[in-house]
Amino acid sequence: MTTHTASLFSIATGSADPIYRQLVEQVRRLVAAGQLAPGDEMPSVREIAHALALNPMTVSKAYGLLEMEGVLARRRGLGMVVAESSGPGQPAERAQLLRPTLERAAREARQLELDPDTVLNLFATILKEAK
Amino acid sequence: MNARSSSPLVQMSSVTKHFGSQRVLDSLDWRIAPGQVVGLLGRNGAGKSTLLECLLGLREVEFGTVKLFGEDCASLSEAARARIGYVPQKAELFEWLTPNQMFDYFKAMYPRWNTAKVEGLLSRWGFDAAMRAKQIKKLSGGEQQRLSIIRALAHDPDLLILDEPVSALDPVGRRDFLRELVEHVIERGTTVVFSTHILSDLERVAFDLAFLKDGRIALQGQTDVLVESARRVTMPASSLPLKPLYGEVRRHRDGGVASVIVQEAGLEVERLASEPGVRVEPLSLEDLFIEVTK
Repeated sequence: MTTHTASLFSIATGSADPIYRQLVEQVRRLVAAGQLAPGDEMPSVREIAHALALNPMTVSKAYGLLEMEGVLARRRGLGMVVAESSGPGQPAERAQLLRPTLERAAREARQLELDPDTVLNLFATILKEAK
Repeated sequence: MNARSSSPLVQMSSVTKHFGSQRVLDSLDWRIAPGQVVGLLGRNGAGKSTLLECLLGLREVEFGTVKLFGEDCASLSEAARARIGYVPQKAELFEWLTPNQMFDYFKAMYPRWNTAKVEGLLSRWGFDAAMRAKQIKKLSGGEQQRLSIIRALAHDPDLLILDEPVSALDPVGRRDFLRELVEHVIERGTTVVFSTHILSDLERVAFDLAFLKDGRIALQGQTDVLVESARRVTMPASSLPLKPLYGEVRRHRDGGVASVIVQEAGLEVERLASEPGVRVEPLSLEDLFIEVTK
């Protein structure tokens, strides 16, 4: 079990994704990829707020959401830990992480007035290219 | 943690203020709850400084009331006055004094003066013994602004009003200031009103935002929620409904193309989004600032 520091996170201002959302996404990804393992201790709200110069309420909001989703759990005396039940998810769960990117692609496909088959074929080609 | 339901720490009601024939504040209402950290946004000349000066009782208002800590701000008690910290847009320091002399002077005025804090900030922010003994007018603009911030923080205020407090600071100085705000001001539960054009600073520290436009608070809400919910809907002008859309902030037509900014996407926007040629996009805080204050 590892104790993590605020260097887990990096945030970007000026994005249409609010900062708390960025923090939530980063934790979800790190858990799904197995870089955060069940039982790992998360940095405190205070530590993250200080390291990234953020309002602590913004960090609390992100942690609150992750706790509600069951990704993190509040452990007395330890603060936040990665929940025992979370871990590298099933493929279907991991695929959900792609959703925001694909939604953006779908939006652009609609703007270009492309039909689904053309778009799916293109995506299949790209997936093969990467291998 | 969220004190929104308790009685407001700042309450401005129907405040009107003219400069000559120009109406700067127009029957403005504004409430700030204890512990809120609010970013105040508006174009140049929108009246942000005037608003903050009226809030502090530094300017008389022609109409309306301003209450701080529940007291009428025109006849504020000494005790209430001592709970306020203010960094004006232009540092109003006693330029002929040295930093040491100035802090000694203010120390005598405030019962809650925190000498250790002043000492810590001066040394963290690069004021060595030589600089502390130099006349303030001989210091750089950034150094004077740092002194002005230290003076405002020195008595651990419960209400901190910052009017473009970082305009003369470089990125390192700004980050130092934000850290100080986060670690020692916001954490104490201090209520903060922060006016600046540096939107990235507001995204970091201002949990709430208020937009000043046409003499009123045109829009106020949680920073995250405002950024996350706002949408720009672009469509052929012929598809634009006559009635304002749900949450509409403004609409704009450019030849055959119309664009509408909404605070959040309602059912109507969802329906429009499925029509050909209609684009629904999220907005960054900068986009939102431009759209709301246009």
